[in-house]
Amino acid sequence: MASEALRGKSKKSGYWVTLGKSIVQNKWLYLLLLPGAIFFLVFKYIPMTDLKIAFMNYNPFAPDKSTWVGFDQFVKLFTKPAFLKVLKNTLVISVLKMLIGFPLPIILALMMNEMKSLKFKKISQTLLYLPYFISWVIMAGIVMNLLDPSTGLLTGVLKVFTGKDMQVLTDTSSFVPMLVVSDVYKNMGWGTIIYMAALSSVDPQLYEAASIDGAKRFKQMLHITLPAIMPTIIITLILNCNNILNAGFDQIFMLYSALVYDVADIIDTYVYRMGIQKTDYSFTTAAGMFKSLVALILIYSVNFAAKKSGNDSIW
Amino acid sequence: MKTKKNSINISTGERIFTIFNYAFFVVLCLLVLYPFWHVLMVSFSSTDAALRGGLFLYPKGFNLDTYKSVFKSPDIFSGFFVTIVVTLVGTILGTLLTAMTAYPLSKKRLRGGKLFMFLVLFTMIFNAGMIPNYLLIKNLGLYDNIWALIFPLMVSAYNCIIMRSFFSAIPESLEESARIDGANDLIIFFQIIIPLSKATIATIALFTAVTYWNDYMSTVLYIQATDKWSLQAVLRNMLTNTQQAMQSAGVNVRAQTNTNAETIKAASIIVATVPILIVYPFVQKYFVKGVMIGGVKG
Repeated sequence: MASEALRGKSKKSGYWVTLGKSIVQNKWLYLLLLPGAIFFLVFKYIPMTDLKIAFMNYNPFAPDKSTWVGFDQFVKLFTKPAFLKVLKNTLVISVLKMLIGFPLPIILALMMNEMKSLKFKKISQTLLYLPYFISWVIMAGIVMNLLDPSTGLLTGVLKVFTGKDMQVLTDTSSFVPMLVVSDVYKNMGWGTIIYMAALSSVDPQLYEAASIDGAKRFKQMLHITLPAIMPTIIITLILNCNNILNAGFDQIFMLYSALVYDVADIIDTYVYRMGIQKTDYSFTTAAGMFKSLVALILIYSVNFAAKKSGNDSIW
Repeated sequence: MKTKKNSINISTGERIFTIFNYAFFVVLCLLVLYPFWHVLMVSFSSTDAALRGGLFLYPKGFNLDTYKSVFKSPDIFSGFFVTIVVTLVGTILGTLLTAMTAYPLSKKRLRGGKLFMFLVLFTMIFNAGMIPNYLLIKNLGLYDNIWALIFPLMVSAYNCIIMRSFFSAIPESLEESARIDGANDLIIFFQIIIPLSKATIATIALFTAVTYWNDYMSTVLYIQATDKWSLQAVLRNMLTNTQQAMQSAGVNVRAQTNTNAETIKAASIIVATVPILIVYPFVQKYFVKGVMIGGVKG
């Protein structure tokens, strides 16, 4: 009994000795890690401690006078019609974006993979993902130019098809479709090259063997190409789920106006207006925290599902 | 005879698909490029042509007056200056910091490395949100300070993962021979690992540089003085001021007062885009490389 306790103790001190030794041995590695550790601590984790103001009635002008209110702010979130509407808008916009923006790059990559001319493939890839690197400020400028009510080229095109003078940017029925189209326009090329990168590792011999076995091109695509990009598809899907409450702050912030708040106001834009501009810090921090928590829960459960079904997962 | 006919049938079907496929991508590429071309051509056109609108395949009433007035604007210059400084400083510091963080994390012998990696990953899926980040900058005394544009964007979890998976693939034997010669981890990192990783470091630097160049929200949230505005913020201001004026004064006023608003907007879009377009063809292969390294699970 006594010797057992002793052994346990020596085991424990042994642990500290080896830990100490390994720290001394790797001191330069720890030194390299230090600035990064400080960065993540200060800029990522210290802000998390400020999530406490979601449980307070925070007074930004006299923080000492703030009072703790428990979950009141969260109760307010779900009883306030304005927030419920914003939540609905966020979900509608991001689901619509996902419905088109998720499968399209897969289809484009599958089609692109069928092209034999390497040069053509390369040039079209390069052109298609150019918009990804242009800021939303610039993209919004271009969209506003094309959709200008009097001079816009697309306004003219839409008039030919609908016979109406469409004011897309200020019209609640066409604003969301515009968001979806411009988002797909900006991001589809990048999504495509992610899949193309995954495809570049496929052994060409697989295709040769399949065609000797009599598999036609469509069959080859179904049985070789698609399985090759399946892991990437799953991971993209998981990361998309993490983003479901990020309907695209930059994009909407640049393009929306009070006229379309009804359909275009999302959690982030709402937090910006109520928090930064109207200094209702506690309520908006609660809204932001709700958003992050949903994202966290979603990514964990989707990842879990992916793992359970035997697919690739992100950890 | 029969098999021959069969193979011809297949190839006609395939030929139709191939033609359709190529045609599809030609049209798609043109559709993606045209908006940029349109804005470029409007920026060179006369104000009359810009106000008439329509399709611009070439400049209508070619002139450079718009560019002359855009380059006279002091705001554009200060925006360029701020953005260039922020991009340079941020990219150098950020890339160095990313590499310094990722290298130790690629070593299995580092105790606590796994926990640290989890903490890095966690920041990717859980964010404190806009208000706590804003309060942090205020509490650090960085509000209205140009460092507020630099610090928060220096290291991203995503870039750390890319770097780490690249470092993990470097064979251990390379370091061991250096260690026998008496080099410590610091010397190994700076003299062996960094020179070996030039391509990956270039990729991370490019990702970081694009983030800084395109950053707009940091200015909106953390900067008040207009002389510290980033290029994107200056541009945004130029793009919306006439818009706001138009909305508050009624649509037709613009035609009489601010006649060259359309061309000015177009030219400022081009001025802010050209730097990216110039470097894009040279650096885009690195982006693809980054995607491929990132595709390897971290």
